Amino acid sequence: DSHIQYERVGADVTMKCGSMDWDAAVTWTANGTDIDESHLNGSYLILKNVDLSQSGQYSCYEGSSWHLKYQTYLRVGTPPKEPVLMCRSNNYPKGFYCSWHLPTPTYIPNSFNISVIHGTKDMVCEKDAVPKNRCHIRYLQLFSTVKYKVTLTVTNALGKNFTTLTFDEFAIVKPDPPESVVAKPVPNNPRRLEVSWQNPSSWPDPESFPLKFFLRYRPLILDQWQHVELSDGTSHTITDAYAGKEYIIQVAAKDNDIGTWSDWSVAVHATPWTEEPKHLTTEAQITETTSASTSSFMAPPTTKICDKGAVVGSGAMAVCWTAGLVVAAYSVLFI
Amino acid sequence: MAAADSPSAALRRRDLCSRGIRLAGKMRADVVDLLDAYVEQQGLDASASVAAVEGVPLAAVERWDEQTGTQRLLENLAAYRAFRALLAQMLEEQREQLGEAEAGLGRALAAVLLQVSAFAYHLEELLRLESRGIPGEEEEEEEEDGPPPPPRLSLFEQKLRGLGVLRELAQWAVRSVRDLRQLAKPSPATGAAESP
Repeated sequence: DSHIQYERVGADVTMKCGSMDWDAAVTWTANGTDIDESHLNGSYLILKNVDLSQSGQYSCYEGSSWHLKYQTYLRVGTPPKEPVLMCRSNNYPKGFYCSWHLPTPTYIPNSFNISVIHGTKDMVCEKDAVPKNRCHIRYLQLFSTVKYKVTLTVTNALGKNFTTLTFDEFAIVKPDPPESVVAKPVPNNPRRLEVSWQNPSSWPDPESFPLKFFLRYRPLILDQWQHVELSDGTSHTITDAYAGKEYIIQVAAKDNDIGTWSDWSVAVHATPWTEEPKHLTTEAQITETTSASTSSFMAPPTTKICDKGAVVGSGAMAVCWTAGLVVAAYSVLFI
Repeated sequence: MAAADSPSAALRRRDLCSRGIRLAGKMRADVVDLLDAYVEQQGLDASASVAAVEGVPLAAVERWDEQTGTQRLLENLAAYRAFRALLAQMLEEQREQLGEAEAGLGRALAAVLLQVSAFAYHLEELLRLESRGIPGEEEEEEEEDGPPPPPRLSLFEQKLRGLGVLRELAQWAVRSVRDLRQLAKPSPATGAAESP
């Protein structure tokens, strides 16, 4: 008969070879490998202070006939520690979800049971397919002062544990961060940046349940953030940016009336508009160029562009007449 | 002119709703501050569960999103009229119990009572706009006619009831903001269920 046996890490395990007598001659194997006789007490297999690596299939065979007399699958693990539970409403006023996890793995299968009570009423938390350790509830009532009590129990073959959360409807409201944050320079305005974003798509009714926003921004070179709170609208123009400096910008959201701020949005970078320094740099490069390899550049065949180290680039039309003479001279040599 | 769907009426409704939202927002902030002060001065545990007390209108509602504009206004009006009476009673009890030390609490209670009265009046204005008759002020409990006056509560029971009243009022203030926002949305016809 084959079955599963669960044991705690550190336990001493004694396995009997089915109905065989203590003094019967037997051979034990672990995952197909013979186990040394030193681990046997008669026909019993003794495993002391088991660890995770000793999980596996254990089989016992009668000495002479090699008939399989007993088989078990040993799974070494731990009873569950107190689970970590979190509940949140990111889609108010539709409902809320709870998610959980174990602080340390047990190495054996666990089952989770969640109960939600609102006053005296039991509510059903529907498990999500993905992610697994999550369930959601629809609000049956709004604006209730009665608290919700959520209890999560985790059970495995070696024990059980539980945790409870108690909260009211408003306290767990926390939207997802704003989406599609975009920051752009404003033409001809060296100190402005235009930032826009969208309500998180998980927030079902921003018209009836408007969000307010918190913007933070700083130049990359500084540590201190500037903050702006915006009670409506999904855009804002920063007017005090340092000219020419790259900025990092983030936005957070909160229901106008209840709950807590969302996490910060994905950060976006932007640099305010600057006045053509690139243009000037390009011209300067042309006047002192030592390389004619700028493919789009076609200079007139004058001595002006020719410098001491002038090089003739392959395919370039700009040929220094001095260099041209040298080439001609070489050509003559090779004829 | 009185028809709720005429342009001027729609504008007036939006204006009343915006002002109502601001009133309710301010009222909520003051109620929350009052709640903190009340809990502290009355020596109560802020997290104490208070069973629903008779006569205190509960803000909790099912199928809130399916309510019509008129339903919202009528339920709000009934609630704030009840709170007006409850707060007046609390103020009276306060004056009886307390000396100078809690004069601040009494003033804060009176200020909230004023705002509750103002909001009730504001709701009446909105109902008038909806061409609805304003219900007369009567006892909210309709199960019996002329119930006997409730037995006088002990001091502790008074305090707990006060906690319950203020908590529900804070919830109502949030609900009223939401209700007025729904009301402010352009609707096809008065009294008809708002289209989702």
